[in-house]
Amino acid sequence: MTHSQAHDLSLYAVETISLSKRYGKTDALRELNFTVDEGEIMVILGPNGSGKTTLLMTLCTILKPSSGTAKVMGIDVVKDGTKVREVMGIAFQEARGFWRHKPSSILKFHASMFDIDPVKRQDLIEQTMKDLELWESRDKLFMHLSGGQAKRLETAKILVQRPKLAIFDEPTSQVDLRGKRKIWDKILELRKQGSTIIVATNEVREAEYLADRVTILYGGRLIVRDSIPKLKDAIAGGDVVEVGFEDPVPGKLLEGLKTLGGTFTVSPGGDQLRANVSKAEDWVPRMTSASYNMGAKISTIKITEPSLDDVFLHFTGKGLVDNQ
Amino acid sequence: MSEFSRLVHIARTDFSYFFRTKWLMAILISLNVSDMLVTGLVYKGLVGFDYFRFLVPGIVVMGLFSAATDTGRRIWLALREGVVQYYMTLPVRTSGLVAAYIISGGLGGIVYSGLLLIIAFVAIPPQGILNAILLLPFLFILATGIAGLAAFFASISRVGEIYWVYAQALQVSLVTISTIFYPASTISQYLPAPIVTIAEYNPLSLAAGALRDSAFGGSALSTGVVSNLLMVSLPLAGIGALAYWIILRTIRVRGKP
Ligand SMILES: Nc1ncnc2c1ncn2[C@@H]1O[C@H](COP(=O)(O)OP(=O)(O)OP(=O)(O)O)[C@@H](O)[C@H]1O
Ligand SMILES: [Mg+2]
Repeated sequence: MTHSQAHDLSLYAVETISLSKRYGKTDALRELNFTVDEGEIMVILGPNGSGKTTLLMTLCTILKPSSGTAKVMGIDVVKDGTKVREVMGIAFQEARGFWRHKPSSILKFHASMFDIDPVKRQDLIEQTMKDLELWESRDKLFMHLSGGQAKRLETAKILVQRPKLAIFDEPTSQVDLRGKRKIWDKILELRKQGSTIIVATNEVREAEYLADRVTILYGGRLIVRDSIPKLKDAIAGGDVVEVGFEDPVPGKLLEGLKTLGGTFTVSPGGDQLRANVSKAEDWVPRMTSASYNMGAKISTIKITEPSLDDVFLHFTGKGLVDNQ
Repeated sequence: MSEFSRLVHIARTDFSYFFRTKWLMAILISLNVSDMLVTGLVYKGLVGFDYFRFLVPGIVVMGLFSAATDTGRRIWLALREGVVQYYMTLPVRTSGLVAAYIISGGLGGIVYSGLLLIIAFVAIPPQGILNAILLLPFLFILATGIAGLAAFFASISRVGEIYWVYAQALQVSLVTISTIFYPASTISQYLPAPIVTIAEYNPLSLAAGALRDSAFGGSALSTGVVSNLLMVSLPLAGIGALAYWIILRTIRVRGKP
């Protein structure tokens, strides 16, 4: 990638510049500086009220920033809203459709608004409806669809549109487990076809399945942004390696390992060694070779990575999932 | 698709709601038609002139009015259902969305009153079909004006019932102070002169009068009447466009209407 300041073309698919949004007394976004690279799937993870929807609504020009601005494919959302809307599509958190239309005519309307080739349009719509299991509901009016069906239709709109920037706001809330998988796979497929994708969610599993990178949003602020493995590695002592021995752990082994760093504890029975380390993959060989050198026989090895929820807890001091 | 054809497509989709609530329009049509027949025939014996001929054009204009105020109901629903936010993500300028709504209101008015007009022509053979056709564009503009007023009321109605109250109040006042159901001479017997003038320049009166004289009566279409119709309709359409534009701007700032 080459950096050039001379012209206004940003290198990012999305870039926000000190973006703030305030509703009355609520600061929903605070001086957000955030970028998304072209062709990646960026997952925005945050609890209720963290500002995810506000951010996405600002990117798709429905909301006007209180201060700062954002660029989509280099186009300013405040100055050039209509052009921004040509290159992007959003599947809303709450499905919005014409109440008295059937799913296919809602999709047809959407396709025609975004100049989808009229020859291919019909097949594309039919296929997408089948992929998302909407085909059985094709004769129902939008207002008679269930919550999950309406959400699937919301996703279908964007799949038919294939915009350069596709935004999904909690695409699988209200959708059953099978449906979630289908939607996730279609989102991955869309990325393969060349779209840049932003997904907002508060579901760890969704983030794990989709993300190239994750942005943690909390209280309208960007807390951290990185790939999931890197985020997990960033938690010092986040990985746990548990080694079981056939005999009690030799004291010398413990002392030897302690000189290498890391925190170790021995189980009450004395035959289990538990290590809290940053990178399990570095520590497993160290621990096994040290044990081998001391003639201690290993019976089991168990590695536990931190979950994304642990990552969240680490960076915000608050859990996403309440499992206490 | 050009931005203009997108705009037309949006107007058409919105307008299609007019037909998707068929039962509503069916009831309105039958009410209007039975008004024509019952009132016209009953009063025929009581008043000194052919009241039926006087009343029918008025009913046609009433139909135009009801259909155009339906725009307000559609805007109100679109706000509640959140479809407005969907429209706001389409590659159309805000002014385009505003135009789409006003056009769709005009279409509703003209299609519905056109239907009534055809029914009326069966009952009263028209003397000036060509005049009726010439009047259609002006009736269309009148309908956009009424749609504009309806949009304005929708914009200031927090709940649907309130919109209904506004629409009814508008209807009663526009119909009472007009020459739709009785001639200006009758009004002047009971009410002061300024009110008679208001009644005569009421856009609904102008439209009913033009239909009465030119379409049913066969006298030449007067440019005065037609330009008056334009002069009262266009500002109303403007008010509506402004009101709708303000709604969209409010959503952009506050996140809700
Ligand atoms: N239209 C509005 N008017 C006033 N406050 C609002 C409005 N929309 C959102 N907020 C507030 O702004 C903050 C951010 O809301 P937002 O909807 O962006 O959160 P979110 O991360 O999408 O939450 P969720 O996971 O529940 O969808 C919240 O405190 C919310 O109460
Ligand atoms: Mg949200």
